[in-house]
Amino acid sequence: MRELTYLEAVREAMSLEMRKNDDVFLMGEDIGVYGGAFGVTRGMIEEFGPERIRNTPISEAGIAGAAVGSALTGMRPIMELQFSDFITIALDQIVNQAAKLRYMYGGKGKVPMVVRTPSGSGTGAAAQHSQSLEAWVAHIPGLKVVQPSTAYDVKGLLKAAMDDDNPVIFYEHKLLYKTSSEVPEEEYSIPLGKADIKREGTDVTIVASAIMVHKALEAAAELEKEGISVEIVDPRTLVPLDTETIIQSVTKTGRLVVVHEAVKRGGFGGEIASMIAESEAFDYLDAPIKRLGGISAPIPYNPELEKAAVPQVPDIINAVKETLNK
Amino acid sequence: MEQTKSLKLVPEISDEKLKDLYKQMWLIRYFDEQVDQFFAKGMIHGTTHLAVGQEATAVGACALLSDEDKITSTHRGHGHSIAKGGRVDKMMAELFGRTTGYCKGKGGSMHIADLDKGNLGAMGIVGGGIPLAVGSALTAHMKKLEYVTVCFFGDGASNEGSFHEAVNMASIWDLPVVFFCENNQYGMSGNVKEMTNIENIAERAAAYGIPGVVIDGNNIIEVINATYEATERARRGEGPTLIEAKTYRWKGHSKSDAKKYRTREEEKDWRENRDPIKKFKEELIEAGIVTEEEAEKIKQEAKQDLDDAVQFAQDSPMPTLDDLLTDVYA
Amino acid sequence: MLKEVFMPKLSSTMEVGTLLEWFKAEGDTVDVGEPIFEIMTDKINIEVESYEEGILLKKYYEVDDEIPVNAVVAYIGDKNDVAPETPTAIEAEDETAATADAPEAEIAENAINEESLDTNEKVRATPAARRVARENNTTFNGVQGSGPKGRIHEQDILDAINNKSNKLVTPLAAKIAADQGIDIAEVHGTGSRGKVVKQDILNNQQPQTEVTEEVERIKLKGLRKAVADKMLQNAQSIPHVTLTTDVDMTRAIELRKALLPVIESQTSYRVSYTEIIMKATASTLKQHPRVNASLIGNEIIINKSINLGLAVAVEDGLIVPSVANVDKLGLADLTTVSKELGAKARHNKLTPDEMKGSTFTISNLGMYAIDGFTPIINAPETAILGVGRIVEKAVVVDGSVVVRPIMVLSLSFDHRAIDGAPAAAFLTELKECLENPWALLV
Repeated sequence: MRELTYLEAVREAMSLEMRKNDDVFLMGEDIGVYGGAFGVTRGMIEEFGPERIRNTPISEAGIAGAAVGSALTGMRPIMELQFSDFITIALDQIVNQAAKLRYMYGGKGKVPMVVRTPSGSGTGAAAQHSQSLEAWVAHIPGLKVVQPSTAYDVKGLLKAAMDDDNPVIFYEHKLLYKTSSEVPEEEYSIPLGKADIKREGTDVTIVASAIMVHKALEAAAELEKEGISVEIVDPRTLVPLDTETIIQSVTKTGRLVVVHEAVKRGGFGGEIASMIAESEAFDYLDAPIKRLGGISAPIPYNPELEKAAVPQVPDIINAVKETLNK
Repeated sequence: MEQTKSLKLVPEISDEKLKDLYKQMWLIRYFDEQVDQFFAKGMIHGTTHLAVGQEATAVGACALLSDEDKITSTHRGHGHSIAKGGRVDKMMAELFGRTTGYCKGKGGSMHIADLDKGNLGAMGIVGGGIPLAVGSALTAHMKKLEYVTVCFFGDGASNEGSFHEAVNMASIWDLPVVFFCENNQYGMSGNVKEMTNIENIAERAAAYGIPGVVIDGNNIIEVINATYEATERARRGEGPTLIEAKTYRWKGHSKSDAKKYRTREEEKDWRENRDPIKKFKEELIEAGIVTEEEAEKIKQEAKQDLDDAVQFAQDSPMPTLDDLLTDVYA
Repeated sequence: MLKEVFMPKLSSTMEVGTLLEWFKAEGDTVDVGEPIFEIMTDKINIEVESYEEGILLKKYYEVDDEIPVNAVVAYIGDKNDVAPETPTAIEAEDETAATADAPEAEIAENAINEESLDTNEKVRATPAARRVARENNTTFNGVQGSGPKGRIHEQDILDAINNKSNKLVTPLAAKIAADQGIDIAEVHGTGSRGKVVKQDILNNQQPQTEVTEEVERIKLKGLRKAVADKMLQNAQSIPHVTLTTDVDMTRAIELRKALLPVIESQTSYRVSYTEIIMKATASTLKQHPRVNASLIGNEIIINKSINLGLAVAVEDGLIVPSVANVDKLGLADLTTVSKELGAKARHNKLTPDEMKGSTFTISNLGMYAIDGFTPIINAPETAILGVGRIVEKAVVVDGSVVVRPIMVLSLSFDHRAIDGAPAAAFLTELKECLENPWALLV
């Protein structure tokens, strides 16, 4: 099968959908001839024209609200939020409007919109362009939250997000854009709420999201040399969360390490750890649950500091060993 | 249509329609006065924002809209809902928290929506509906649909960032939307004269390259005419208009408001000299469209409709706990 | 900023401190160096002073509470700070202290496991281990945890269960054990191949204690608890051997008589036999360094200094102040030091430093009608000298029966560190030294 980068997979998923569904269109800052801040939409305005590849003013609240309004009236907008940090400006529309309209209208209307947004650190963009804020939106009933980790997943999950009749916040990790994997040419959908076991193992379960899936895989390869067998579960979507797969894995291994790039304090890892503690897997836990996440500080600029601010492979290795008393 | 001309109406409107608009104004007034009493008696809970005194803006702006046309509404939205064809019984049931209400008892006073009638819903967040209206207009634009979207908001919302972002976007894309600012002089307690440094909010239109119009919001004829021109312009693809209708809310901001920020003399002046319903009635009688007796009869019909609505609401079932988790997701 | 006030570790053996009194109420201002509360440790009472200035925001303990070392007792901060409802844990002591304490720490952890034998609730065990125990209808009795701080993991309980099921037991023994609720895993089998037989079960039965009359119950706590714990540990973990010998104290009495006025005029203290015995002991220890040793972990440490612990009876307890470098002190100085320490001990005024570092202990019961006894070694020391009364006895000297003042010395030694012959040689030389004490002055 041909290989595609994560970035190309995002573009391909949107293009395939837009070719067959006129209701789907894209709105965002600099997504026209510029091709988007990370080049995801490059070439799309040439194919679909400026009406459907709608270059917007720098007005995140306005764009988000226009997405909500157009979704409510029959379109299926995709909003490209240039950096996920800027969600602060768009949150009223996402949290107070998009997430709640259907419920507070008593089941009338739907808001089928996707907010695609690059997140994460590692690019030297410092504190205001490097955050991982997925826990904020995961907290809001009415929103769905997706964090794909591979090119294959991102294409299938974006298709599912575009097909979904609810607002979906779709996090694309900046450092994953250049990674590639085998991606089928045809359209396919990966259901939201279905975790993927990225590596099977027996001793410890690592639940890792986005870029941390890759770091966990690296750590697992190292640990294998020491005879430690690690299972890696990629939830892929935080809302809905595939609790069953995680519970099954932890029941099997008896040990859980949760790792995400977002700040550990109040991060989604706490939700996963709590979910396990409340589940039937609790009785199979043979070590305290370990959580790895970003430090409680803004992302710094200096590259060494930036790396140290989020979990790295040795941190994951140590955490796994700690749960094994090694 | 002799009478119509004497009313200085720009669009042609039948006598029957004008009588219906008169009745709608009374429905709004009765509805909100009734709600005020129910709150005072503790019969309904939560909070509410009443539009007594502002009947002409809602009714006038929606007078010529079809069910295809959209509006977005605000926390002070009962009048918009009634003017856009909403049923007072389903509205009252909603305030009573009943399953027969517009939102099955889950939205309450601040979130009444009626998508079939083109009411995209009331937003409790000040300014929250403005970008949403732009999105609705974007749909019409992209799908090449005929409808226009009238976006209601208040003087307070015009100071929200969302207003400026949304108006600018609608302007650059020539979207079919009418920004209808009901300037009732106060954003909660904030006097518009203290919160903005311009005489008229409509002047802000110039900043976004669109027409801005100031009208007397308590003169329904002016409201109808201005909205008509703005919607026609929008339908022609010439883009949005900002209308500022000066009006006044007779009641406080919400249910517990001592109104210390304004004088009783000011309130009295608006009530006695600038009552929009009284003004419309006088014009209808003067134009020979209704007699005093007919006007009274219409008013009584409105009262009867409202009494029926209250009865309907009180007779309707409460939601069950099974409804708690439904409709979070589509 | 919140600053914690924690329970200080005032000695290597201190694990808890008992709160005696609060000097500050919540909301009071506290200066650096001001006492905040008073505690009693296994050895002393001490006022804990503040390292910080600010407002005492929150107290977590009340008087009479036993507070673990390093636990947060209170928070000091400024008026804008909010102390948490429950205190945060503080890291253990620094590494050097931890190393020195290693053997004791292990003992303490085992003790925790033993304490928690009766219910699984108190045992540190993972949920998986608990599930396995539940599924097998067993307890964590006797299960050694392989995790940090003795945490029992799934494999530990599985191993224990497998051992148990492997245990050979006669059907009758099994029935009696089941009837009486005796855990067979706990019973030592005396039958062939270790099979548990009826008699083993009967031997294992706990004696029934019948309380028929009113009794006074004294809770083991504070100093009593500390003494109890320490004695139990030392008595159980050290293989004691006690040697006794008679000492003719005729010349020692003469020596004391001669020195009494001299020392009294110099120091205002009256020299006692204790000081003379201390001096003789120090002098003899110098010739027998193996008896002046500490056993720590797998090492016998031969101490260069001769620091003598002096067991002092206090109200409902026993404390041991240490007199440093006795071999280098003259009798006058030694008298002053030991009298002052004894007085401080009886008034709970000893500092932690004054109870540290002894290398050999003397326990004197000479004021009672006691001759010989078997003193318990004060670990990590490896020997202790028990001193009895001086009493006139008929002894045979040069073939004739004469009356002489005789004192019995009892030397308990740790047979892991010291063998019988060197211990006997030490005690013999000490006897000779006391019988010819003038040599001490040379």
